[in-house]
Amino acid sequence: MKPQSLTEKILRRNVAAPIVPGSDYFRIPVDLVLGHDATIALLIERFKKAGRRIWDPSRCFFAGDHFTPPSTPERADILHRYVTFMKQEAVPDDLLYRGISHQLLIEDRRCQPGMVICGADSHTVMAGALGAFACGMGSTDILALLLTGEVILSVPESIRVDFEGTLPEWLFGKDLALEIIRQLGEGGAVDRSLEYRDLTTSGIPMESRFTISNMAVEAGATNGVFVPDDALRRYLAERDGAAGPAPGFEGSWLMPDEGVAYVQHLRIDAGKLRPLVALPGDLGRIVPAEEAEPRSVQQVFIGSCAGGRIEDLAAAARVLRGRRVAPGVRLVVTPASQTVYHACLRNGIFEILSEAGAMITNSSCGACGGIDKGLIGAGEVCVSTSNRNFRGRMGSNEGLIYLASPVTAAAAAVTGKVCDPREVLEDRRMTNFHSAPWPVAQVTGGAT
Amino acid sequence: MKIEGKALIMGDNVNTDMLHPSRFFSLDDRTVRSGFLQAAAGYEQVGGSDLAGRVIVAGENFGCGSSRETGAKAFVLAGVRAVVARSLARIFSRNVRNLGLAAVECPSLPDLAPDTVVEIDLVQNRLYVPEASLGLPLTPLDPFWVKVFEAGGLLPFLGLGEPISQQPRSVSLPVYQGPP
Repeated sequence: MKPQSLTEKILRRNVAAPIVPGSDYFRIPVDLVLGHDATIALLIERFKKAGRRIWDPSRCFFAGDHFTPPSTPERADILHRYVTFMKQEAVPDDLLYRGISHQLLIEDRRCQPGMVICGADSHTVMAGALGAFACGMGSTDILALLLTGEVILSVPESIRVDFEGTLPEWLFGKDLALEIIRQLGEGGAVDRSLEYRDLTTSGIPMESRFTISNMAVEAGATNGVFVPDDALRRYLAERDGAAGPAPGFEGSWLMPDEGVAYVQHLRIDAGKLRPLVALPGDLGRIVPAEEAEPRSVQQVFIGSCAGGRIEDLAAAARVLRGRRVAPGVRLVVTPASQTVYHACLRNGIFEILSEAGAMITNSSCGACGGIDKGLIGAGEVCVSTSNRNFRGRMGSNEGLIYLASPVTAAAAAVTGKVCDPREVLEDRRMTNFHSAPWPVAQVTGGAT
Repeated sequence: MKIEGKALIMGDNVNTDMLHPSRFFSLDDRTVRSGFLQAAAGYEQVGGSDLAGRVIVAGENFGCGSSRETGAKAFVLAGVRAVVARSLARIFSRNVRNLGLAAVECPSLPDLAPDTVVEIDLVQNRLYVPEASLGLPLTPLDPFWVKVFEAGGLLPFLGLGEPISQQPRSVSLPVYQGPP
């Protein structure tokens, strides 16, 4: 049999005949379906017209993260419809108001390697860092999935991405994700899977891996999956404890075959990279931060499913400890989940950030999707740890968004301009951002 | 099956936030419609105008970004008949096809003048540009997408719902001028 990539292995397990003769598309059973208040609300009316029930409510992983808490009456209405729908369909409500759905997914014992996970949001791909097939879809696809338990997909070919070398202390998952997009281009992985291998000597922390998988979709990829390794095993052991996976959600430890014919093979030497930024507008212009014009900044946003984890907030705290945010700069910090929030309360990160002048918000999507708490006006410049810098994404069409790692963003908050973070690290002894003293992956058990 | 219409030309890597910014996210069709093209520089006016019967003609990676289906729905509400691009982003192309619109790829698509009339032939898999005497190959749709298109969308194909009406709408809505 032809050697299979990890994505082929996961998807082809339970696949029979094509959906129609001669098609490359198959009905694929789904283990977990991610949803949130905004995109699930779009399907409720059509769902009711179908006159059926959700195929298995226990497999619905539904959070409330977009309009939470709501900032307009219309959004309150959308959220209310969503919560009512969940109740009517007996969907578990343990995730409501606990943070961004994608972050909750990777913190949860229901999310395991080898699973097929589909979500009503493009950044569902983040769960690929756990060795699962995870992809985002629109509301109509998710509606069909809720009614049937299946999605109709073609099996994508894979691009292999090897990370090599040693990560410098100031290099993060965001820099690696941007480097992949820089090499492939914004549409360079459309209808393809990205299959990542961590071959670095230092190891890429799980939290950085989440950011890398999260941004697979920014290169157009169907999914972005890390080949499971000891780091994943340790993460799951710490996350799930002795109890292990949630019952009925055991997953499976699958690996790619030897000798797969990958359509492309990238090798990225982490030791040779510099901190990167994506220039405003789209992800088509990614440059080293030191080569970017040192433009004045009005807002720095540290948050989102791509950049609101403990690793990100801890890195920002290390830069900001004992310093103040530059005059005229708003620093908005939005922890990705309540687990992140609580850890930052306990370990002093919030104290440092707050003393530096940060405005800390509740866990939600917030400014990233242009929803609330940190929108930008015409002519304003924002350096953001989120995943999209598109025109109009965070407010005004005439606002400018740079994407960067948490240290690069924090450095912009300190200096008030777009800059290379190494400029502000030189005068202090920096230990490795990715390790102690702050716990990086101190997550609770998730679902019980 | 042939679809003919005046082209609305767009460029490469046009993302869903440009096509439909999140501030127009709504369950109300009028709000959704009014957000069409409202963050695409230079297209704000045309986005608010009567687009019934138009064919969107775009470059590479059209529709990249978010999965928000309000973006795809806005095409339907605006009366757009079809999308043809050099290449299409995955989630977006699924979304518009699931709602019953034709979305096809024409890798050799040349730059066309605004309002050029184009004709998509889904049987011959050709894109015709009569005034330039051009006939270009389309990437053939997978048989699954042909069935979805014939049924009027994914839900009717699966027997789970009715096609969304594609009656061209002639309502012309004011262009969004920023928050009140």
